[in-house]
Amino acid sequence: MRTAVLLGFRLRQEVLEWSGAWWFLLTLVVQAVVAPLIGLFVWSAVYPGDPAIARYYVAIILVTLMTESFEQHTFSERIYNGTLSHELLRPQPVVVGVIGMNLAIRAWLTLLGAPIVLLTGIALQVGFDWWAVVRSTPYLVLAAVLVFLWTFLLSLTAFWTDRVHAVVGFGSQLVFLFGGTAAPIGLLPDGLRRVAEVLPFYGMNGLPAEIAAGTRSGGSLLYQLVWVVVLVGVVMVLWRAGIRRYTAVGS
Amino acid sequence: MTAAVEVENLSMSYKAPVRKGGLRAAFGSLVRREYKTVQALDEVSFTIAPGEVAGFIGPNGAGKTTTMKILSGILHPTGGAVQVLDTVPWQRRSAFLKRIAFVRGSQPVGGSQELTVMDSLEYQRLLYDVPRATFRRTLAELEALLDLEPLLERQLRALSLGERMRVGLAMALIYRPEVMFLDEPTIGLDVSAASQIREFVQEYVEQTGATVLLTSHYMADVASLCPRLILIDKGKVQYDGPLAELSARLSPYKLIRISTQGDPSPFGEVVDKADGRWVLRVPRDEVAGTTARLLQALEVVDLAVEEPPLEKVIDQAYREGLR
Repeated sequence: MRTAVLLGFRLRQEVLEWSGAWWFLLTLVVQAVVAPLIGLFVWSAVYPGDPAIARYYVAIILVTLMTESFEQHTFSERIYNGTLSHELLRPQPVVVGVIGMNLAIRAWLTLLGAPIVLLTGIALQVGFDWWAVVRSTPYLVLAAVLVFLWTFLLSLTAFWTDRVHAVVGFGSQLVFLFGGTAAPIGLLPDGLRRVAEVLPFYGMNGLPAEIAAGTRSGGSLLYQLVWVVVLVGVVMVLWRAGIRRYTAVGS
Repeated sequence: MTAAVEVENLSMSYKAPVRKGGLRAAFGSLVRREYKTVQALDEVSFTIAPGEVAGFIGPNGAGKTTTMKILSGILHPTGGAVQVLDTVPWQRRSAFLKRIAFVRGSQPVGGSQELTVMDSLEYQRLLYDVPRATFRRTLAELEALLDLEPLLERQLRALSLGERMRVGLAMALIYRPEVMFLDEPTIGLDVSAASQIREFVQEYVEQTGATVLLTSHYMADVASLCPRLILIDKGKVQYDGPLAELSARLSPYKLIRISTQGDPSPFGEVVDKADGRWVLRVPRDEVAGTTARLLQALEVVDLAVEEPPLEKVIDQAYREGLR
């Protein structure tokens, strides 16, 4: 209960904090929507008469905006400039602050990116089955958790290297390739598709988007949950090792 | 009575990568990295009783901030034992963190800079589980002591350095910590802002009986707040005791400040003279005799015996070490 109250207060704080950086948030929105838009243009050209492609990519844009994580800009910077020490001295888990900031940025991205999604949908005359959209909600929530865990995991490498942006950039490319943004994974060659369906990246973008777009009626929440458990485990191990290093070397 | 802070044989060493200059050494380091061990703290021991205010001084790189970070729980030492309020600090248990505060002059206020001071204090209230009534009472006291009222609606990012320090102290003290680690609390402040912070710390300690460990390069901070000094250099404690004793140990002289129309130069080494006011340097054990002789021989308007300036004493300790 106390953690929920603290998280709520932190979220409010961070929403206020980021309201002053709307121009930076706009650049993040642009970065987030460019890749799905390219995918949309390419695959619409390949399958000009298929309305499912446009629907899928509009859903992908929305999923990307609602799940995007930037811990390399937020948490890792705290390691680099030493302000993580302030967090360590607070009587609450450090991750509460990280999650609060993550949710605040996502809220702003969704708000600022909504007109882009709307305009794209109207321009391409995309229609959604709203029941499918509702059904995609749990998949979307788990996708948000997975993206956060993946980005946070890679951002933790800031304890060891000052090139965290390269590490997270590499991780984002994997999400782009295997997550369903470069191409809906159903269109990938058989071998690649089978690999993509097992990796966690499909659960971060493609799966909730496919369900919202109605191109897939059901998926495995278990597949997403298993990856959540795995990533939580790895994050915890890396966090402990990182904090041991930080508290051994300091800032 | 249990000590508030207990430090025994505390050691801290870092492994810092080193290599010679040039391309060859750079390529070589890709295959075989070399490290040099830096001993930041070497068997440091001291205890601080509850309610005691101790000054922790030393030249840059002596190990002061490292010690503070270990005592507050940010750093994990490589050796030795530490207990703060009967707790091992680097376990960073919530109950412990609610009883201590670490305020750094270089970074007095952490967290969201877009927030107002009042929002930040409110967050501290939630974080540290301060009951509303206690929060209101403490805030009223802090407002008066730190002149906070004009700052409450201001955003953190828009505060001046002096204001940030006042707010940093308010945020640390709103939950009434029992132990405070103050790392250069007056760094960069002008004379009146520094004096305001000093007066505030003194009043807070008198009111609450908090234990304070303070580092500062400004001897005015140390002289006005700390009856006890711990001097650290090259990671080792060089002196631990009263300020006056350190001064006597390092400087075998005292200063006699005298106003007279006569010439007191035969009575001691003249350090300064201007408009009939003289400053003489006299060996400590001859001060009483010299003062008596001066009063007999000259028409003295005013006379005062002073310790040499603390800055000079400490500078001597840093340069030459303790004898």
